[in-house]
Amino acid sequence: MNPNPDRTTYLDWAASAPPEPAALEEAREVSARYFANPSSPHRAGKSAEDRLAAARAQCAASLGVEPKEIVFTSGGTESNTGVLLSLLDRHRLGGVERQKTRIVTTAIEHASIYEQALGLQGHGIACSVVRPKPDGRVSPDAIGEALQDDTVMVSVMLVNNETGAIQDIAGIARIVREFSARKGRRILLHTDAVQALAKIPFSLRAMDVDAASFSGHKIGAPRGIGALYLKAGHAPSFLSIGGGQEAGHRPGTENLPGIAAFSTALAARLARLPEDTAAAQENVRRLLEGLRLIRGAWVLPLARQDGNDPHFSPWIVSVGFPPLPAEVVVRTADAAGFSISSGAACSTKKKDRTRVPESMGLPEETARCMVRISTGPSTRPEDIDAFVDMMQRDIPPLAAISRGGT
Amino acid sequence: MSGTLFLIKYGEIALKKRNRGAFIRYLKDSIRARLPRVQLSVYEIFHRVFLRCAEADAAQVTSVLARTFGIVSFCEAVEAGLDIAAIEKIALALAARYLAAGMGTRFKAEVRRAEKAFPMTSYEIACRLGDALCGNFPELKVDVHTPDWVLSVEIRERAYLYGPSTGGPYGLPTGSSGRGLLLLSGGIDSPVAGWMMAKRGMAIHAVYFHSAPFTSEQAREKVETLTRRLAGWTPGIALHVVHFTPVLARIKERALAEEITLLLRACMMRFATLLAARLGSMCLVTGESLGQVASQTVESMHFTGSYTDLPVFRPLVGMNKEEIIAVAQRINTFETSNLPFADCCVLFAPEHPLIHPDKRKMDLSFRKLDVEPLLLQALETVEIVRS
Repeated sequence: MNPNPDRTTYLDWAASAPPEPAALEEAREVSARYFANPSSPHRAGKSAEDRLAAARAQCAASLGVEPKEIVFTSGGTESNTGVLLSLLDRHRLGGVERQKTRIVTTAIEHASIYEQALGLQGHGIACSVVRPKPDGRVSPDAIGEALQDDTVMVSVMLVNNETGAIQDIAGIARIVREFSARKGRRILLHTDAVQALAKIPFSLRAMDVDAASFSGHKIGAPRGIGALYLKAGHAPSFLSIGGGQEAGHRPGTENLPGIAAFSTALAARLARLPEDTAAAQENVRRLLEGLRLIRGAWVLPLARQDGNDPHFSPWIVSVGFPPLPAEVVVRTADAAGFSISSGAACSTKKKDRTRVPESMGLPEETARCMVRISTGPSTRPEDIDAFVDMMQRDIPPLAAISRGGT
Repeated sequence: MSGTLFLIKYGEIALKKRNRGAFIRYLKDSIRARLPRVQLSVYEIFHRVFLRCAEADAAQVTSVLARTFGIVSFCEAVEAGLDIAAIEKIALALAARYLAAGMGTRFKAEVRRAEKAFPMTSYEIACRLGDALCGNFPELKVDVHTPDWVLSVEIRERAYLYGPSTGGPYGLPTGSSGRGLLLLSGGIDSPVAGWMMAKRGMAIHAVYFHSAPFTSEQAREKVETLTRRLAGWTPGIALHVVHFTPVLARIKERALAEEITLLLRACMMRFATLLAARLGSMCLVTGESLGQVASQTVESMHFTGSYTDLPVFRPLVGMNKEEIIAVAQRINTFETSNLPFADCCVLFAPEHPLIHPDKRKMDLSFRKLDVEPLLLQALETVEIVRS
């Protein structure tokens, strides 16, 4: 049992991060001072508009892009679905007909891409799903093979939310661009960068993507704020129509406190990223080494190296102790004061919970044993050591029960 | 007199001639137990139970009476002195109320005169009231065969007037049929089984086998919710939560996969017997229904039932799932039972459980578990949750 029930060690940062103090303060301050509608013509509205422009500029600078390329949304899911749903509008623009519209995506995407892409099939938009290799990474060549004459969009996430596998988006971009040039057709390349933002260094320009999704609450901003990068001149046409905010891409009165908090959190996190990354790498080293000592531990993917594997985010580890079900491990950790999650926290659908590990070739019985441990900038090495100690103590007897004796 | 008066009709209690006093007491206790903060008086006059409470509490009392076993029907009554003018005045007020409520225009007056000293006969009273009502409300019409509503008048030590009554659940009052221990899971069946025994007057306690961390806290909370639902019908029910993981682990360690479910059921029966002795329960109640799952065949129930010396009541044994669900919906446990936390881990549910177990072989397997010390230890871990 948790020796100190008031203190829990939070190891579920990939689900939602504790608030970044500066962002919290910013949200409070902006809520109080810039309450006016940025679209209003009076002075109060104008000052809100100025604050919005400043936040957008700060955010764009953090991401190394132009302010006009940033659209604020309600979060990662809206950014993702917005990009996909824009395809529904193609027929109105006299572009390729829907019957000749295809999305290429992968089996490891977040549900807001994967399920949405499958859902679009009901609207006549085809979908090719590329499976990852057993190491959890999608090969650019496999994406290349999936490209067809009717492909108009490719969406591959930058960091997988369950395994932490970093995808070779730049490599995928090269192949997509080459195919595109050969066919003389534009293909929009989107990446879901929710688990990458302020977690691993990346450059939107260098990766050469047309669109990228971000979420605020994964980096310490409040819930309900996210962003979508849309490369200038490549913006798809969005379906929602309203007051014309966010260059018409995302109508609705702007969530200015959220936007300000998001840009503040992002800047704060990026400023600390080198030190934070070093600490995360030390944490993940301890975590993987300690967990691998437990009999029957199964790190997903098995190919992940103990040290600083450059192909994995140091903030996320997926591990299981088959046949001990993931929820039993989660409950055991919870009872001992550690918050971890089984698979993707945001997936409430049962069948979707094992999709990612199964796509990597795990049998369903093993896939449903995988838990995710995700750390953040304030996770200390001693937290990891305490967690590992607890796991080494509490898991083996349960795993033994689950294996049975006969 | 002020406040609201309920007239309660009871059914089978009346048949229990010599024990009637005790049965009435159980009925009163059962009502009072669920209305601890309500000022009420319950009394009996000539085979009628009356309940008087403040008008503000009437709605709460109504909802309890509708769920009180032993009650056939009940209604709000208005009393009057033994004087025809006073009776008529109240009859008119009630008629006005029924008309305003849109209950219909065809009515009849039904009069019973227990107090023979009253100067008019039942028939004369009925005629007098019929005339008065029709005279005051031209839209009203007497219809003795298919009335929309019946105005009942009872002439006793006082006159009692009442309209249509609300049905009760019948059965026998809680506590009048001894005490039983219900094996409560989070499923659909066991709450229904408990309710059915409670309907026959049994005071119920429940035992839930908690196997953390293999079963979740939500599963336990769900069982607590189900117990509270049952408490609406059977006051005094307490949930006994036993930590059964060590027993589960022993079974998993020593048993063949296909025997796990049956051995677990046998351990539960054995444990429930120990707990029943402590609680003074005279029987076990389970939600088993013949052939529903592998552990509910005749052979399986023969085996599991042999691990208790108490009678095992299985009120659902001859019911179909649809029939069970219909009751669960009526008693408001279905939605809770249907919540998806019944995760009594796949680990302990073999893919091919025994359907027709050989009792002698199973008895040997049970003995190999050497589980009695664990059961006695588990008895010390019981947590009691009162509803």
